[in-house]
Order: sequence, then C-alpha cells, then structure tokens
Amino acid sequence: MNSIHSAALDPDIGWLILAIFSVMWIVLGAYLGRRVEGLEGYMLAGRKVGLALGTATAMATWVTSNTTMAAPQLALQMGVWGMLGYSLGSVGLLLFAPLARLIHGLMPSGFTSGDFVRLRYGKAAWRVFLAISLFYGFGWLVSMGMAGGVLVNALTGIDYRIGMTVILAVCVLYTMLGGLRAVIGTDFIQTLIILFGVVILAWLAIVDVGFERMHAAVLQKRPELLNLLMPAAIMFLFNNLLFGVGEIFHSNVWWSRAFAFRKGVGFKAYLIAGIFWMPIPIVAGFVALTVPALNLNVPAADMVGPLVAAKLLGTSGAILVFILVFAALASSLDSLLAATSDLILTDIYKGHIKPHATEEELARKARWVVLGLGALAWILCLPRITTLAELLYFTVAFVASTIWPIAAGLYLRRANATGATLAMVAGTGIGLAGYFLIGFYVAALISAAVSMFIVLISSWLRPANFDWAILANSREAHP
Amino acid sequence: MIISVTALSWLVSIATAMTALAPIVLIIFWIRDWLKGRLW
Repeated sequence: MNSIHSAALDPDIGWLILAIFSVMWIVLGAYLGRRVEGLEGYMLAGRKVGLALGTATAMATWVTSNTTMAAPQLALQMGVWGMLGYSLGSVGLLLFAPLARLIHGLMPSGFTSGDFVRLRYGKAAWRVFLAISLFYGFGWLVSMGMAGGVLVNALTGIDYRIGMTVILAVCVLYTMLGGLRAVIGTDFIQTLIILFGVVILAWLAIVDVGFERMHAAVLQKRPELLNLLMPAAIMFLFNNLLFGVGEIFHSNVWWSRAFAFRKGVGFKAYLIAGIFWMPIPIVAGFVALTVPALNLNVPAADMVGPLVAAKLLGTSGAILVFILVFAALASSLDSLLAATSDLILTDIYKGHIKPHATEEELARKARWVVLGLGALAWILCLPRITTLAELLYFTVAFVASTIWPIAAGLYLRRANATGATLAMVAGTGIGLAGYFLIGFYVAALISAAVSMFIVLISSWLRPANFDWAILANSREAHP
Repeated sequence: MIISVTALSWLVSIATAMTALAPIVLIIFWIRDWLKGRLW
C-alpha cells in the first residue's frame, strides 16, 4: 500500500476483477484446448488458423502491457516522438507479412524459428541464435510479469508480488491446458477488450481535458514534450523501429504463428495487424500529455497510464484500465510462454538433450515445460529490478543483431553461416557497448548496422550456395 | 519546432478513429471465417 492507492481501486474490487477474468481465461483456455491432439495440435493449433484469429493474435501479442503502460511513460519522457516512435513498432509486423508467406512456403512442416536457423546456417549459428532468443524471451516474459505486479499494485494497492503471482499463474494455467489454440482463442477476445478500452480512455481524455488545454499546459510546464526536434527522441524513433523489426523477425512468437496459420493467411494477417496496431501507441500514449493539465503527481514514470485513467475517470477509469492492461498482459504472456517453451522443448530438449524423443513424448512434456518456464519467470519477477522500459530496451542490442541474418537467410542464397554467426555475436556485443556508453536509444541502431555490414560483406566475399529444399524437410532433419 | 495544437489533435483523432475501426473489422472477419468453417 502506498500513496498511489489514494487514486486507485479498492483492493476488494481489484480482487473481484482478477477473479472474474482469471476464471474466464482459464475456462476458455481449457475449452479451446479440449480437442488438441498431438504435438502439432498443441504447439501450432493444428496449422489451420484463419484470418480473423490470425490477425487478432498478431495484434494482441504485439499490444503488450509495454504498449499500454510504457507508451504513456515514453510520451511523458519523450513527448510526441515517444508515442510516434513506439507506433513504428508496427513496421516489424508489416515487414514480417511477406516473410510469413515465405516461411510457410519454404518450411511447411517447420515448428520453430530455431528450426530455420539450424537448417539454414548450421549448429554454431543455431546456438548463438538460441542464446539470443531465449535471453530475449525470458527478458520479455519477466518484463510482462513485472508489469502485472506493477499494475495490480498501482491500481488496487494489492502487493506487487501477489498481483504478479496471480497474473502469471493464470496465464501459465490456461496455456498449459490448451497450448497455442488456447493462446490464439483468448487473444481474439483480449484484442477486442484492449481496443475498446484504449478508445474509451482516449475519447474520455479528449472530452474531459481537450486538446487546447492539454497543449497549453504542456507548453507551459514541459515544452520539450512538444518539440519535434528532440535529438534523443528522434534516435529513439529509429531505435524502436529496428527493435520491433528485430524482435518480430527472430522471435518464435511470430514464427510459430507463421507455421500455425492456414495457407494464404500469414501475409494478410500480419499486414492487417500492422496497419491496425500502428495507431494504438499514439492513442494509449497521448493520455500522458494530460499530466501537466491535470496537475498530476507521477511518482514513477511507468505508472503514468493507470494514474491518468484513475484521475480522469475515478473508479470506473481504474476498473477499465485494470481490465484493459490485464488483457494486454495475458495476451503477451501466454504467447511468450507458448513460443519460448516450444523453443526449449524442440531446440533445447530434443535438439541437445534427447535427439530421439518422439512427438508423443514431446507432446506429453510440453505442458511441463510451460509450467517450468512460468516458475522460472516468477522467480525472476520477484525483485522489481528496474523500470519496464529500461528492461525492455536492454534487450534491443540482442534482437537487432538477428534482423540481417534472418532476412538474408530467407532471401539470399549467398548468405553464409560464418557471417550470420559473427553478425549476431558482434552486433550484440557492440550494440550493448553503445547501450552502456551512449544510451538505450542507440543500441538497436548500432547492433543492426554492425550485423548488416558483416552479413553483406561476408555474403560478398564468401558466398554460399544454399539449397532451399533443405528447409522443406525440417521435421525429418531434426537432430 | 513545437507541434501545433491542430496537428496534435489531428494526429490523435485519426489514431483513435483507426483504433475504433479495428474491432469492427476483426468481428467481420470472424463472422466470415465462421460461416466458411475456416476459423481453425
């Protein structure tokens, strides 16, 4: 309990909302998972996901609590460019649309992004890629779990650890029960909740505060937030664009969906999701610009979204934002749990520990891997180590280094294994140096630039002659 | 260079309208997929 609680929900209401939505997600997950059969059914929802569910799951997964909570935070710190920069995260979804079609065509029986890197570049690149992908997956998972605890604490006063535990446990349970089918099915409803919630909040902020009053107050108290030439913010804009592209290109969250979508759906689903995702950070973020007009005291920047909603709308606003962010959290947490556990199951367990494990055996173990991953995330979430955006942007150097190895690996026969491996290692290392020596807003830029240079130069100097047919037999070729 | 109140209001209004349109499109897609038996 702290000062924030004065502008938030009664803990009893908080518990009631948590209970209602927790039961709803778990029952829905169990219902959707009742017909799941085999490893393909559990990991890839039977590979027949249609356009509506495909578009919604891409949108919901990319609308994380970092969109609904960190977008206002970034608007408060970087102003207009903060929310515009965040919206460029949609470029990743848009650019992945043609890749999703290509991936589905090249690897009709593929399971994970690790399958592609292993078959395309060999084991050394695969292991580097897995290290990056798993580190990022854990980082994002912990970020989401922490966001859950922060949200519950900010809005209801319920202890951070208890709120985080409840949200994580709910997501683990329904993901365990229904696999990707439960994840995608719940994502559809969560998307609708998020979209309606964000629009209602934005509309009420516009009506209650108004653009004139908001603009005048920001101009008087925080004029830098309206400055279109803030250098750090412009760097952030490009950094976020590359981060989004890197995250989506490499992460198994997106690859597993490309494998799971029905033939012909991947391109349309990612394209439409990208177009509709683009305005969401602007809508969610601009409410932070009402802070000067409302004379709101914001004790921690990552809580500005919930605090503004509670200030503007009182109890109903707090309830709305609580439901909205719970949906955003769940839609990302479940996807991360499913996709990361797929990588652990197929690329770590089958790939490195038990190469002869059968699909039946893997299907049985899949649920336990989700549970174990959830338990590990819970342990890492217990101490609230940093603010949400800081944690998220620490990982950008890692993911940006994978953009060129992945894209070149899909389009360029000449791209070679040594270049891809070196690009990921050097891009990450030098990007991290940039993060610590200059600032978080340059890490992705440096990482992607180094990675691009190495991939292109190595493809030119030592061109490979890759046989694309190797990718088609991904299942049989698994070690 | 400061963004004007007009530009800010246009930016936010268009973004809000697009976001409001998204759930309608998704529901239409869902009905179409459901009628064709192509939800899953």
